[in-house]
Amino acid sequence: MSQSGTSPTDLGSCSSAAPARVSWQTSVLTSGRWLVIILGLGCVSLLVLIVSLRFGAETVGFSEIVRILLLAVQDERAGLESAGAVGVIMLQVRLPRIFLAFLVGGCLATVGAGLQALLRNPLADPYVLGISSGAAFGAAVAMLLGIGTSLFAVSALPLCAFLGGLLSILVVYRITISYGYLPVHTLLLAGVILNAIFSALIMFITSMMDPNRSFGMMTWLMGTLTAPDYPALGVLALYFLLGMLVLFSQARSLNLLTLGEEAARALGVEVETVKRTVFFSAALLVGAIVSVSGMIGFIGMVVPHAVRMVHGPDHRLLLPASALAGGSFLVAADTVARTILAPAEIPVGVVTALAGGPFFIYLLVARKGRLAV
Amino acid sequence: MRRESERDAAYQVDHLKFRYGNERNGAAAPWVLNGLTFEIQAGEILGVIGPNGSGKTSLLKLLAQVLRPHEGTIRLFGREMRAMSQNVVARSVALVPQDTQVAFPFSITEVVLMGRFPHHRHTGLLGGFGWDGPEDLRLAEQAMRETDVLQLADRSIGDVSGGERQRAIIARALAQEPHILLLDEPTAFLDLHHQLEIGVLLRRLNDERRLTVVLSSHDLNLASQCCDRLLLLDKGMVVRLGRPEEVIRPEVIEPVYHCRVLVDRHPESGMPRVTLPSGKPATSRQ
Repeated sequence: MSQSGTSPTDLGSCSSAAPARVSWQTSVLTSGRWLVIILGLGCVSLLVLIVSLRFGAETVGFSEIVRILLLAVQDERAGLESAGAVGVIMLQVRLPRIFLAFLVGGCLATVGAGLQALLRNPLADPYVLGISSGAAFGAAVAMLLGIGTSLFAVSALPLCAFLGGLLSILVVYRITISYGYLPVHTLLLAGVILNAIFSALIMFITSMMDPNRSFGMMTWLMGTLTAPDYPALGVLALYFLLGMLVLFSQARSLNLLTLGEEAARALGVEVETVKRTVFFSAALLVGAIVSVSGMIGFIGMVVPHAVRMVHGPDHRLLLPASALAGGSFLVAADTVARTILAPAEIPVGVVTALAGGPFFIYLLVARKGRLAV
Repeated sequence: MRRESERDAAYQVDHLKFRYGNERNGAAAPWVLNGLTFEIQAGEILGVIGPNGSGKTSLLKLLAQVLRPHEGTIRLFGREMRAMSQNVVARSVALVPQDTQVAFPFSITEVVLMGRFPHHRHTGLLGGFGWDGPEDLRLAEQAMRETDVLQLADRSIGDVSGGERQRAIIARALAQEPHILLLDEPTAFLDLHHQLEIGVLLRRLNDERRLTVVLSSHDLNLASQCCDRLLLLDKGMVVRLGRPEEVIRPEVIEPVYHCRVLVDRHPESGMPRVTLPSGKPATSRQ
């Protein structure tokens, strides 16, 4: 009896399910779609890297670039010797700088995406929130005390930058929990105030230094990429990749956190652990970024936003895609910074701020309905 | 006999006390829940009713372990909840909050699939990934069909109406495959048609899957229609727990809500029905 009663409805649901199946699953992120998008972005990144090698004070032809790269891959020393001065410029100056730009840009974008999820606010960014200036303050203190003589691992400078960044994050987070979430205007206000306080402190420190060192510090603060040597680049790459992997490992928890902390907790997310992990790795990454490249703004806000518009908000895709897109973006911005007034260079932070600032205003004005929390 | 009742209890709440605020300045905060003791039977539909601020929402959050009790214990199927991890709780308890604001434009399908989170492995460096398998997709589709949001599956959750969003969140809770479903004001944003549908759906899930349902509501009639038993709270304390005809009585309701009510019978179900008196409701409070 129940058999005969259900069979017509079953048939009905089957026939309606067949066309529906196609449409309702289109927004589901599958491993196939993930791979296609990531590989696509990877190819674009590679293209940007190669094109950027071409430009600089001296333009190098593409065939020359490919030849030198191939030689270098086969045997680095032989490649250098046969390529001469152009080879030295490419392999010792441009290539490491481009790698550094890619790492810094990728990291900034990933950290930005992670902070946006955690604070449930699409305008969050290490620079806007004052985390970068906190880190810069830490680094400036290290420089003033003369404990930051070397730029990498052995120096106390990244550690101080990390502590400064962590301090800023904790202040922002404290404001967030007192509201339960972070309204846009509170976030901006907190960022403005933190930035003002830390800028004042940094200016104070700069005024204490002798003019030579203070000029170097000003350039560094504006965001500059200086080519490191390869071993240092390797250490940095390892550090950044580990930090980004830790952020990637929180991707699905971050998806759920965008529903709110209580909803995420009810779905089984250990919210406090996720928050600690993301805040701590964000502070570690921003500390390192600031100590190698100063304050480069807006990438962490603009890039995840753009990626989200194109590929949707799922953090499993958003985090790695932002890493690749952010890397490419900073490489491109740095190429502009290197070439637009060649042979002089402008700080890359100026380029990213000029590109990112208007976008930020556009988001505030044009999309205010969707951001008003 | 006693053992039997223990085995059948979905929740055993014992001297539960809760207040907001942390330990330092908490002394000044009043108790939101002040010593609740009651049981929720497995397989029943329990309605939590009471005036604003009586502690309904806090109670549901405590039952989902979104909040933790300050004093007293909650046992879930006989196990002390304090010792259970969030993930273990989430595999048997789903919470539908009063209102959900989603900060980013996730599609409804994506939101519903988040309900599968507690059933996935998500520790380790690659735990952030892992894809939704055919079983996850099947359960999500079924849940969306049951709550009538399948045709909205690809719409952004921020772009649909409050009622549609609410139904999507109920679908997410169903995709979680819980033994216990907690709903905070499930019909607050729904029109009559969907109020009825949610009521019918809850009843059906309760029949078919023996799903235990706990819902809070301001709508005494809906609660009386849908629920096997009602828990009436006032100022964080239990006023009465019993079948609707034992709770929905003028002498019980009036002192709690501070207004006069008329109670008659629903023409179809025969369950008690509450109506406000005509003219000005005569408040007994000052």
